[in-house]
Amino acid sequence: MRMLWGAALAAGLGLGVAAATALALEGDPAAGEARYAENCVNCHGRTGRGMASFPSIQGRDAEFIVDRLLSYRAREMVGANSALMFSLSEELTDQQIVDLAAFISTAFP
Amino acid sequence: MNRQIIPWSLCAAVAAGGLTGLSIGAAAASTPSLTSSTVLSDLQDPWDMAFLPDGTMFFTEKCRGLSVRHENGDVAHLLGMEGTDGFAETAEDLFCDGQAGMLGVAVDPEFDDNRFVYIYSASRLSEPGSNRVVRMVVNEDLTGVSDRTDIIDDIPYKPQASDHPFGDSGAHNGGRIRFNPGSGNLYVTTGDTHAGHVPQSGTELGGKVLRVDRNGNAAEGNAPPEGFDARIYTYGHRNVQGIAFRPGDHTAVISEHGPWHTDEINVLFAGANSGWDPRPNMAGRGDCPDDYCGYSPNQMEGMDPAERAAWMPMTDFETYPDAMAPAWENNQLSQGISGMAYLAGDQWGDWEDMLVVGYMGIGFGGTPVGQRIDLMDVAEDGSSAEASEFPLPMGSGRFRSLVMGPDGALYVALDEGEIHRISVE
Repeated sequence: MRMLWGAALAAGLGLGVAAATALALEGDPAAGEARYAENCVNCHGRTGRGMASFPSIQGRDAEFIVDRLLSYRAREMVGANSALMFSLSEELTDQQIVDLAAFISTAFP
Repeated sequence: MNRQIIPWSLCAAVAAGGLTGLSIGAAAASTPSLTSSTVLSDLQDPWDMAFLPDGTMFFTEKCRGLSVRHENGDVAHLLGMEGTDGFAETAEDLFCDGQAGMLGVAVDPEFDDNRFVYIYSASRLSEPGSNRVVRMVVNEDLTGVSDRTDIIDDIPYKPQASDHPFGDSGAHNGGRIRFNPGSGNLYVTTGDTHAGHVPQSGTELGGKVLRVDRNGNAAEGNAPPEGFDARIYTYGHRNVQGIAFRPGDHTAVISEHGPWHTDEINVLFAGANSGWDPRPNMAGRGDCPDDYCGYSPNQMEGMDPAERAAWMPMTDFETYPDAMAPAWENNQLSQGISGMAYLAGDQWGDWEDMLVVGYMGIGFGGTPVGQRIDLMDVAEDGSSAEASEFPLPMGSGRFRSLVMGPDGALYVALDEGEIHRISVE
């Protein structure tokens, strides 16, 4: 299954140009799952519930995930784990961000 | 003993295919084949375990409280924290906040006579909150606790957020508590609470290893510098979450989290300074965010760990020439080093009496995450150690606590909410 979000939806959510661009891409949950296993699972866990001082991402929709990852990639502080997220998001492409959003929003409802 | 050290690459390849219940064959004739089983799952941040000789297992969950798994597998919930239900007792002053919460657990060496169990937890009984070592009496059928006595009530807790990575309140508590099987003293590991002055302070108990008796009084033989709190065994630590006692002479060995660099293993001696001093305007450094240089000089960005270590060393030999040298430094990486234990029993073959060390894993600025368990052979004089990767017979995870069970198996707690039993086939 592949997922598509349109730029119009992004604009309607008040997201920036970058978010709108990213959301215009099709998200591939399978690719997102592979990226999640590489970059995310060791803090957010196998079920996305969070561990230790790392937050749960269960129940987050795709728009939220895209917006947060774009914020971190742009070096915008969002909470105490921002340094770690800056590092992890800096080389993510728009496509990889949308893939992650597609996986997280469907795998951890 | 002549030990077999397994090459890292071989172990990584073996571990990568591991799943619960899968047996891992011996990588060499002198090393054991391992298997694993899940003991408990669906826990909430299990942090530590402690055993009775019959296999009864006390365990803590960071934001829930103290429970016990009986020999028959039934679980009784003994002491809950604020906001929990389903526990025989609830202590509303005990709370969790970020990294703080109910952490370590230990059983008294004379449990059969006194039925004492101990936990390390954040508490609101004193302002602005503190970490405490709490002693309780467990009833005969292991279903409840009573007679709470806070034997140490003045370990710092971080009450306010600060401008640092992981800078929320509740950071850096240490939290492991263990009785030395030789002396019977209780060792308590603490953290620096992101406060620059704390590790080298003689009066604040953060950034220390404390050594006390079962009543919380200073142990005989502590030798801190003049003017220091007599409960201090060693000082100048950052965040100590692992401690174990070397077979034979029962020397304490610890693991210590590094700050974007240099996890350490240290062999302790009374009065030692581990050399962590994150105060501003020290050792050539200037001001730092919120008076804590622990992640400086570039706390929000990746940087060569060696350069970072040179600027803000875990062990500052220039300022403290007599500082305790680490036995091992994790190749200058910080990967969330945590619980540790010595493998006990000849079923472990060449690994008997070797140290096993868990890592929760963290990658920053391109450094490898490093979730694993290491096998370590620490030199008797504490000056060096050889490390290799323990071949996991299960999937990897955030290895928070490692404890030897009375059945000769290694029990491991993962932040994923699981406790596993690793044994020799």
